Amino acid sequence: MTDSPFVMVEGLHFARGEKDIFLGVELEIPRGKITAILGPSGTGKTTLLKLIGGQLAPDEGRVRIDGEDVHALSRKALFRLRRRMGMLFQSGALFSDLSVFENVAFPLRVHTDLPEAMIRDVALMKLQAVGLRGARDLMPSELSGGMARRVALARAIALDPELILYDEPFVGQDPISKGVLVQLIKRLNDALGLTAIVVSHDIQETLSIADYVYVISEGRVMAQGTPDSLDVNKDPRVSQFIHGEPDGPVPFHYPATDFFSDILNMEGRP
Amino acid sequence: MIGRIVSLGRRGCEVLEALGRAGQFLAQSSVGVPSREGWYLWLRQMHFVGVLSLAIVLVSGLFIGMVLALQGYTLLVDFGAEQALGQMVALSLLRELSPVVAALLFAGRAGSALTAEIGLMKATEQLTSMEMIGVDPLRRVVAPRLWAGFVALPLLTVGFSVVGIYGGYLVGVEWLGVFEGSYWSNMQASVDFIGDVGNGMLKSVVFALVVTWIAVFQGYDLVPTSEGISRATTRTVVYSSLAVLGLDFVLTALMFGGFS
Repeated sequence: MTDSPFVMVEGLHFARGEKDIFLGVELEIPRGKITAILGPSGTGKTTLLKLIGGQLAPDEGRVRIDGEDVHALSRKALFRLRRRMGMLFQSGALFSDLSVFENVAFPLRVHTDLPEAMIRDVALMKLQAVGLRGARDLMPSELSGGMARRVALARAIALDPELILYDEPFVGQDPISKGVLVQLIKRLNDALGLTAIVVSHDIQETLSIADYVYVISEGRVMAQGTPDSLDVNKDPRVSQFIHGEPDGPVPFHYPATDFFSDILNMEGRP
Repeated sequence: MIGRIVSLGRRGCEVLEALGRAGQFLAQSSVGVPSREGWYLWLRQMHFVGVLSLAIVLVSGLFIGMVLALQGYTLLVDFGAEQALGQMVALSLLRELSPVVAALLFAGRAGSALTAEIGLMKATEQLTSMEMIGVDPLRRVVAPRLWAGFVALPLLTVGFSVVGIYGGYLVGVEWLGVFEGSYWSNMQASVDFIGDVGNGMLKSVVFALVVTWIAVFQGYDLVPTSEGISRATTRTVVYSSLAVLGLDFVLTALMFGGFS
């Protein structure tokens, strides 16, 4: 049982209105490893995390977490399952009316009966792990983007979850913050044995910490494997994405009519 | 023509769907036994929606009572009936003006703030992150606000009436010289506790349910962008005002229109 994948996504179909986002995605997320899900912007990576977390329901297919079908659970059972998960949002999503310390203590206060002294110790330990114990009394509005994300990470691991979902953890970070986050994610995974899913399009940072990688494009898994195997993948679409080439099978230009005829077209000119 | 019918039908379906969502939302968030922390959260919201609305409601009540007395006096004095001023001020306030004006002020002050606050929490993913922590935002964020609104508005309405009657006293008795004894005794003789005070309070309870429900639902259901928040806040004030005025007519017809 312990060798079985922690998260299984089977035949996932999902559409937003007329637009198909997923057309039969299959994933297996192994226990205790960092699995990266890569893909160009707009491929639905964040949507995939929301489907795994049960915030969205698929049109077809199933998501199983530790054997439990996420979308077949009652609202109460789903909230119980989520206590075993942590999620780091792109924006941090800290509670703006609570201080840094209270944000980290929040999951402990609502889900445990620990005495106040122990809540304090645990929250400070989590803040120490992300290097922000000294910022405990600041409000979220006083934090930089990188600090907010680190506090959010401390909050996400407050209950020692078994699974943690990272939604674009490196977006908009300066190189130092990016490096700090990369190290933190790796260190937390090694120290706590978490199962981690990192959704990102920051290739180099993600590949440096991932154990296994899925590349998603056009609603399907385009490639999968270890970071090394993807680096030498001959598929031109995978190669273009992994090496960041501006043009290739994925065109630089959004589909449009011929450029010159468009320029010479007199319609719409003053 | 067919296109218009189709679009009308689609609009009708959207309205029905929104009503269904709003009903489900109300049932999920307002039913249930609050925890000890739930009581604390409710008290905090009572402060935000109730105590902080007190100033605007009481000041408005005072001025409305004063204006009522001034207008009433100029009308009644022509018939030599200025002794009935207390009765007129009290009945106007208790039956109509207090529940309606307090609800309109509440929608503008507290309702719009509730929508904007919940909307901003949604736009900044705070509600989603709460869900992912395993805490139901309907129970933690919405329920205390709903119940605070349900309780605060009827209390504010009582304050509005009391201050309004005192405003009428200031203008009628202290300024225009109506005999104090007749101001109070006419009021006492003509105001029926169940029929006037009770029905006025019943109106206020209904308005509290509707205004708070609209405000929190608009916040929870909005499109999470800055434009979405601004539209939802406006919708809260417009829908609440229309609902209060429309329901006031229906309730007045049922209570005082002789249908019973």
